[in-house]
Amino acid sequence: MIKSKKSKVGDLVVAFLCFILIVVCLLPMLNVLARSLSSSEALIKNKVWIWPVGFNLESYRMVLSDTKYTWSLIWTAILTVAGTCLSLFMTTICAYPLTYEHLKGRRFFNTVILFTMYFNAGTIPMYLLLKSIDFLNRPVVLLVPYCLSVFNMIIMRSFFYGIPDSLRESAELDGAGPVRILVSIYLPMSMPVIATLALFYAVGRWNGFSDSLMFMKKKEYFPIQHWLYLLINSMTNIETTTQEGFAPPGLSESLKSATIMFATIPILFVYPWLQKYFITGATLGAIKE
Amino acid sequence: MKRTLSILLVCFMMVTLLAGCGAEPAATTPTPSQQSGQPSDSGQPSESTPEPEIVNRRFTKTRSITVEVYDRNNDGGSPPEDNFYTNFIKEGMLRDHNVEVTFIPVGRWTEVEEINNLLAAGDAPDICVTYSYPTIQTYANMGGVLDLAPYLTEYKDLLPNLYDLLGERNLFWNQDPVTGTVWAIEALLFNQARINTFVREDWLKKLNMPEPTTLQEFENMLYAFKNNAQLLLGSEANQMIPFSISFDIGWRADHLLAAFVPNDLTDKEAYIRGFDDRHILYPGIKEGVRVLNKWYNEGLIWKDFNLYGQGDSTEDNLMKAGYVGSFIHNWDYPYRGGDDGIHANLQKLVGPEAGYIAVAAFKNDAGLYRKFLSNPIDRKVFFPSTNDEPLASLLYLDWISTLENRRFLQIGEEGVTHEKMPDGAIRLLSATGDKIMNSPNNIDYTITINGLDLGDPDLNAKSLAFNYAGVDPRYIEKAWPLSMLDGRIIPQFNVGEIKAEEGMGPALSQKRDNFLVQAVSCPPDQFDAVFDAGMQDYLNSGGQAIIDERAAKYAEFYE
Amino acid sequence: MVKSVALARRPGKGKKLAAYFKRYWTLYLLLVLPLTYFIIFRYIPMQYIQIAFKKYSIVKSVWEMPWADNNGLEYFIKAFSNKDFINAVRNTIMLNLLDLIFGFPAPIILALLLNELPYPRYKRVTQTIAYMPHFLSWVIIAGLARQMFAPTSGLVNNFLAKLGIEPIPFLNDPKWWVVTYVALGIWQSVGWNTIIYLAAIAGINPELYEAAEMDGAGRFRKMWHITLPGIRTTIVTLLILSLGRILGSEFDRPFALMNHMVNNVANVISIFVYKYGIQALQFSLATAVGLFQSVVCVIFLFMANALAKKFGERGVW
Repeated sequence: MIKSKKSKVGDLVVAFLCFILIVVCLLPMLNVLARSLSSSEALIKNKVWIWPVGFNLESYRMVLSDTKYTWSLIWTAILTVAGTCLSLFMTTICAYPLTYEHLKGRRFFNTVILFTMYFNAGTIPMYLLLKSIDFLNRPVVLLVPYCLSVFNMIIMRSFFYGIPDSLRESAELDGAGPVRILVSIYLPMSMPVIATLALFYAVGRWNGFSDSLMFMKKKEYFPIQHWLYLLINSMTNIETTTQEGFAPPGLSESLKSATIMFATIPILFVYPWLQKYFITGATLGAIKE
Repeated sequence: MKRTLSILLVCFMMVTLLAGCGAEPAATTPTPSQQSGQPSDSGQPSESTPEPEIVNRRFTKTRSITVEVYDRNNDGGSPPEDNFYTNFIKEGMLRDHNVEVTFIPVGRWTEVEEINNLLAAGDAPDICVTYSYPTIQTYANMGGVLDLAPYLTEYKDLLPNLYDLLGERNLFWNQDPVTGTVWAIEALLFNQARINTFVREDWLKKLNMPEPTTLQEFENMLYAFKNNAQLLLGSEANQMIPFSISFDIGWRADHLLAAFVPNDLTDKEAYIRGFDDRHILYPGIKEGVRVLNKWYNEGLIWKDFNLYGQGDSTEDNLMKAGYVGSFIHNWDYPYRGGDDGIHANLQKLVGPEAGYIAVAAFKNDAGLYRKFLSNPIDRKVFFPSTNDEPLASLLYLDWISTLENRRFLQIGEEGVTHEKMPDGAIRLLSATGDKIMNSPNNIDYTITINGLDLGDPDLNAKSLAFNYAGVDPRYIEKAWPLSMLDGRIIPQFNVGEIKAEEGMGPALSQKRDNFLVQAVSCPPDQFDAVFDAGMQDYLNSGGQAIIDERAAKYAEFYE
Repeated sequence: MVKSVALARRPGKGKKLAAYFKRYWTLYLLLVLPLTYFIIFRYIPMQYIQIAFKKYSIVKSVWEMPWADNNGLEYFIKAFSNKDFINAVRNTIMLNLLDLIFGFPAPIILALLLNELPYPRYKRVTQTIAYMPHFLSWVIIAGLARQMFAPTSGLVNNFLAKLGIEPIPFLNDPKWWVVTYVALGIWQSVGWNTIIYLAAIAGINPELYEAAEMDGAGRFRKMWHITLPGIRTTIVTLLILSLGRILGSEFDRPFALMNHMVNNVANVISIFVYKYGIQALQFSLATAVGLFQSVVCVIFLFMANALAKKFGERGVW
């Protein structure tokens, strides 16, 4: 297929716009990277923009030699994988039955579930509940309480709606039960949405730490972002200096940037890895038609 | 079908397996009533106090208490609930009073939320510490705090060290004049030094100027800095900042603003208008802020100060880089932080003669370098209502207040955390490993005192200068007395709870900072409008109600 | 509408119900786990919402707490008679509307743009980089933003100065602050939000494009007639959910970006709740405000959903 000249020019325009986008999004990350590799003198004088000034690997050396950070990275990865699997499972078994228009009580279930998206009572009630079922300070508290997102469930359900009913009907005629239909028809065709939700849940778990902040006291189970939060706070809490009359121990700006890099880079690679699933689903959809 | 069920089963197993990880549950705090087996579970003082159970200030049956300790998550720090110092305390308490002590770490930055959770769940430590009295008042109003008054009076003879250190003054500081309840005792603020004005000593030398002693001289100095930027900073002249300030104008211009308050301000007036801890309601403050507004518009103040909020390190970096000529801050601010501190960085980045020196420049209408110092109170110690062992807890406070014990906690072991100078003064060393101090002078453990006390005022003064690694003692020796020169402490007027103050603290503080920042940054012709509007909003949002109630209560109790 | 073939004839109602369950009981089995989850982790804590009507006490259980004055409405009255609260509601709606008007179409446009990119490797790289900002916390972004936009020392203003333009108070001036706030919000989320749309686009049948190509349709015709309709369900669903959050208030972004010069626009409901409620330990007030927000959001969700259904869409409910 030969592309027309107009189309080629259009392609170049698109490519150029994407380039601008890349620059705008990449520069701040490069700034953080540059800061993590710069000397403290350069940072104090605010001379660092995109390139490191006074290049040194000291901060990375400090972060990597600190076992609590390296262990936390591994633990966060485990948590993310386990949490994502659990969440995908829960989301699927919740979304699928709700796609049956004739399901008795569907209105009721819809309301009950949607309601929870808007009404919540804060941290203390959750803390009391978790205490009463003895979830506190156990790894399970980082996996279960927030494993099912109604928002994500709605997205998956929307996607399921897009799969033609004719497929379901013909399978039912063949005598297949609902679960069988789910596993052999819906799931294989839903790779894009599963990949999307996997990404959402994975990033949510990787970046989230408000639950570990309140519900987890054992340091060996802190996710990496929790450590980053503590690091940033211990460097910048002026309120304590005026109250207590002493300054927090000096931690360099460079160390903070290095830890940010350390905590962010692993999760960035999940999407490229998941991308292949986006294409598979589309092709399958075409064939089935 | 079978396959589905088996998948479900596998997933259930996965979840339960993960739930089983970390199988041992969180360490449950041993409840005092279980351990001691005493009939006194109700916590009523007069009826079931175990008088015969205590001999020579030692319990006959071991008691247990839990104590809150801040977890700062320091780099290279030791676990705050289990280290060399906690062992020292635990052994001491067991030996001297037969009380088992367990420390409960609470995150320093999440302290309020965590205590909320613990209180709601009934798991709060027996001894809690906080900086904010209104917080305790709120908990007390909810029924969550134990009244200490009866215990303090009844057990006075058993608590000699506590009474020695804090005295009736600090112990009963918060006593309600009507009901007699004491919700919290006040720790002792040992070091009254609060704020200082700092100027670049090397710049004064370069410009051949003496230290400023009046407002006019200070202003002239700022102009001199600005006009001689080329000479002082060379190629970086455009970075010149004659005077630096932050959003917290009340704190960061304290000496300047205090100089505009009439000297004859009565204690009564100061009390009535004293809700705000930056004294924004005192008469005369507006004129002080007007000076700042003038300086800002003349380019004498850091132009970007209003952009940055709490905790931002930009201003500190500007000071470290050597661009800032003067500022007002905590009395020892440039000297703190050791190698990462402002002084150390000045030495590194500018030169060995660079440094900030404390000066007294702002005289009030009576010619005094008036400044408002804090009362000798610091943190507040309170017992949640779940505390079943009030006497054991008070004995803990007594033990922690005993001179030998707290001195050891504050300076640690000789050769490890401190060394003795020839004249007896103490110089602190940084340790690593288990004997590291997670907080300076182990302030997190010495909850009844803030400030180094060796028992001898002379030694204390000398040791203070040695507390700052890498800083020539002459700086501290000048800064410390200067920060208290002509200081005035507004006496305490105890009128009980001011209802209008409940829940107003954070909101009014934000309003105050807002209108002060805007008043300083606006053009001079708008100053009056902005300041007055801001002050009016502050008063309308609850400030006036507080003033009125304070006035009424004062009249009720003191007139 | 899936009608089960086996139930085409209608026997008596009881028998019909039994037959229905015999056939579809597995669906209910699937729902057991999620419903249990919602009951335990959402509904049980929800009983605490009643503290909006009660005098909160940290040491009592919810059922023991006394009712608040004014028939339990004291805290609602307190909130609505507070000038700052009304201001916060106004700011929240204003900022959310701006986010919706500018921030909602942005990922769609970007997704369409990326879809047009014919070089697959370039496309993948662009996607990966575009969603990087989403991973930075607002504390970090605010720090970077200050560095960039500071009036005297910021990079952008230094650049403008070289061109002879006066420094622009991106973050100091209320009007500019709103612009910066929305722009940074878009920057942080646009790359991430395209993921859903790209996944939806991937589900469109490529044969449709080929057919259109043969009919001589250009780039924009294809977009208008194939791509957009193909992802219409996704767009509508997300739009309904966004409208349902019109009074919702995120905390991190305004808190990190605000300063004392812009409080009259930056004070949103979440900040109000933080200052007046949480920091001051006024839990009842905080919960009352939260309840008010939730009720309004549900009303908007309902309205948006009904509107969508009127246009023939499926809706969220």
